[in-house]
Amino acid sequence: MKILVCLKQVPHQDARLDIAPDGTWIQESNIKFEINSYDTYALEEALKTKDASEGEVVVVSIGPDRVTQALRTALGMGADRAVHVKDEAANGSDALGVAKILAAVAKQESPDLIYMGLMSDDGNFAAVAPMLAELVGIPHTTAAVGIESGDGKLTVEREIEGGAREVVELNTPCLVAVQSGLNQVRYASLKGIMAAKKKPLDVKTVSDLGLADQVGAGAARVEIEKISPPVKGDSAEILQGSTDEIVASLVNKIKELGLL
Amino acid sequence: MGNILIVTEIQKGRIRDASYELASYAASVASASGRAVKSLVTGSGVAGLAEEFAKKGGGEVLLAEHPLLENYSVDALAPTIRAAIDAADADLVLISNTPTGWDVAPRIAAGLDCAFVSDGFAVEAAGDGFAFMRRVFNGKLDARVVASGGKVVATMQPGGTAAFAGSTDGSVTPLSVDLDEGAMRTRFVEIKQSEAKGVDLTKASIIVSGGRGVGAPEKFPEVIQPLADALGGAMGASRPVVDAGWLPHEYQVGSSGQVVTPKLYIAAGISGAIQHLVGMKASNFIVAINKDPDAPIFEVADLGVVGDLFEIVPALTAAVTAAKS
Repeated sequence: MKILVCLKQVPHQDARLDIAPDGTWIQESNIKFEINSYDTYALEEALKTKDASEGEVVVVSIGPDRVTQALRTALGMGADRAVHVKDEAANGSDALGVAKILAAVAKQESPDLIYMGLMSDDGNFAAVAPMLAELVGIPHTTAAVGIESGDGKLTVEREIEGGAREVVELNTPCLVAVQSGLNQVRYASLKGIMAAKKKPLDVKTVSDLGLADQVGAGAARVEIEKISPPVKGDSAEILQGSTDEIVASLVNKIKELGLL
Repeated sequence: MGNILIVTEIQKGRIRDASYELASYAASVASASGRAVKSLVTGSGVAGLAEEFAKKGGGEVLLAEHPLLENYSVDALAPTIRAAIDAADADLVLISNTPTGWDVAPRIAAGLDCAFVSDGFAVEAAGDGFAFMRRVFNGKLDARVVASGGKVVATMQPGGTAAFAGSTDGSVTPLSVDLDEGAMRTRFVEIKQSEAKGVDLTKASIIVSGGRGVGAPEKFPEVIQPLADALGGAMGASRPVVDAGWLPHEYQVGSSGQVVTPKLYIAAGISGAIQHLVGMKASNFIVAINKDPDAPIFEVADLGVVGDLFEIVPALTAAVTAAKS
């Protein structure tokens, strides 16, 4: 069983989000990055499958030098091999451009399963997974909160609204985009981190994948024109003062509401 | 210039409110750009719903009926939507960002090799394409996103606008679809309803919820639960808390957990991701306690405290207890 896991490195959840001078994205210098939270559950699910039945877990990510760290972390957790698509020609790709790059990697690797997160914590597009499945020509499902493998198929519980779950069956090979909370994600052990240094990490360019001029800003049909702080509605009245004063105001309010 | 296609969704025997919201978006783009509004209704035995939608914002409705369209399978719905896009000559395809919508829509865009935008809460014609407003960074920032270069497939956030309330001159045309059960690589099995396990937050009149800012599982019984108890209310949590295994899923407030409307909702250490806000913003009175003054939770709150929950919450618990005795 060979599983390809697509990872994105995103700004750390607690990173300061300052808007860059051109207004189209945040300042990425001097902030910490981490593996997209949804993708960590995808990686864990792949590693669990490998632990139970052997096989190979290959991780792939697109981005600049800093992405090496995310891939090394994944190798430290137990992935066998990494592919890093590092090429300025990929910059400015829209979701479909990203899916095209990943599809080219997937075609070279021809995995039995592709796992990835439902969405990224930065762009929140939730677009790449179904696009990638379409481009590779395999079935897919999204928001998986339970995965069971059977003979030539997977049975997946996907989270729908109101806490309900939709059970679907997919022929393999297939792609599953996982919901957060699918499993308990392991940490990289010291031994794992040491071993990771010797694991293969291939660097590829867009041309290596036969995609010159097909991805990147020039080919993108979707672009962010501007980012801005959300338009404030009637935001909260912020209580000022000492803790005692604040607590007194809160107690008064609760009394006013007739709840005390 | 093409037309606008609304892809409707049926839930519990009726066309979802979210589909009527798509009709609102479609009407505004149509009147500004001179496009016609067309719709797709899919299912089995749903001709009556199609007739109704045609008169309430749907315009010219394409009706695709097939047993394989009764429950969601991407392999049945994707080719049906593709056929409707052709039949409607659409250059803007609007789909609700529901579990079905987000699953099928990007796949259609990839198949058409066209632009895709997700979870918009505003849309307008702009230049030779369309501009959308959507959130990024889990609601911390807004983005204006421009899509162009031919067809545009977009999903729109349920609740992002008011449902269409006018009337339209509608008609219903059958759309023939050729679906083969053997070709379904993704098959619907069943829906499992959530199992209520004793924590029914929907009935609580006061809820005190903790988020990632609570920091550790033991802090819930130590800090959050005592305030809930003092107020005679219930304890809730946000998604990251449940994902981390700190509390079971039945405590989760949000679009994937329980949607609550208590008289008082206190959010401690919750930044306010969209998925949480959807579950609690209709509460009668909301108090937010968070260290980060820019946290989105303050936008839906009535009263805010920018500060350390570990200072405020125990002090409030003590003050409430004192006020009662």
